[in-house]
Amino acid sequence: MKLIFGGAFQGKLEYAKKNFDIKSVHDCGAGVSSEASGTEPDFSKDAVCALEKFVLRCVRDGKEAADFFRENKEKWQDKVLIMTDVSQGIVPMDADLRAFREMNGRLMLYLASEAEEVIRVFCGIGKKVK
Amino acid sequence: MNIFISGGCKNGKSYYAQRRAKEMAGSLGVPLYYIATMIPHDDEDRSRIKRHLSERDGWGFETIEQGLALTEILHNEDIDKNGVFLMDSVTALLDNEMFDDKGNIDEAAPERVKADVLEFAAATGNTVFVSDYIYGDADFYSETVESYRRGLAAADRALAEVCEEVIEIAYGTEERWK
Repeated sequence: MKLIFGGAFQGKLEYAKKNFDIKSVHDCGAGVSSEASGTEPDFSKDAVCALEKFVLRCVRDGKEAADFFRENKEKWQDKVLIMTDVSQGIVPMDADLRAFREMNGRLMLYLASEAEEVIRVFCGIGKKVK
Repeated sequence: MNIFISGGCKNGKSYYAQRRAKEMAGSLGVPLYYIATMIPHDDEDRSRIKRHLSERDGWGFETIEQGLALTEILHNEDIDKNGVFLMDSVTALLDNEMFDDKGNIDEAAPERVKADVLEFAAATGNTVFVSDYIYGDADFYSETVESYRRGLAAADRALAEVCEEVIEIAYGTEERWK
């Protein structure tokens, strides 16, 4: 598995498509408003992006996002996983969003430890950090 | 050489950018310009500008006040286009272009600012651009703030593509991306 992370609007998916053979993408944030929970990853696709939107769903459902990935480990071994790093801003006022910020970090830690390659994208430029 | 610098606030971006601009002007033997983009709205802004001015004191910068319409500089005959320019910051320029004092929002500003900074980089060839990395929040913002963040990111990415160097400053240390 390859993990691509970076801040919002940094061109993570564009970078992934340019550098890896990706024919299909599941976007967990597709079709939902910015504050709504995202969808569950569909691992039949080559890449899954906006994992943070799925994390938001897990927070609201009282589940741990990393557990979902542990339980479905065999399904994403050959995938490109893309997520937004939300750890560098202001601590949110909203309790769910504070939990979201932390759960997203835990998922990133887990996926980074499992990944064969970790890439951080900054202003459209990728750098291999693992 | 065009250089793009970004990073979190109060990490030493401006100081690093000043140093790079001064070195470049020194080695090329050309004038050194500082493009001041901040339009003061209150006492807090005025005291920040005062602090910035004193921080640049003695560096040899000639200050150009240009909070809007960046490319006007290119048509000013008193300014040497072969000089080195420190443009600090893209963030403030987009802010000024997008929002006015009356609360109006110009949705066309992001595209305009992106085109302006690209034109400026191409025309001068020796500009140090400073922007702000505001993309790591977990909180939700209004659609207005999101379109500002999206617009700034588009300008940042366009600059990162054309600049010879792309540098992230984190707590005074330099992370080179290009």
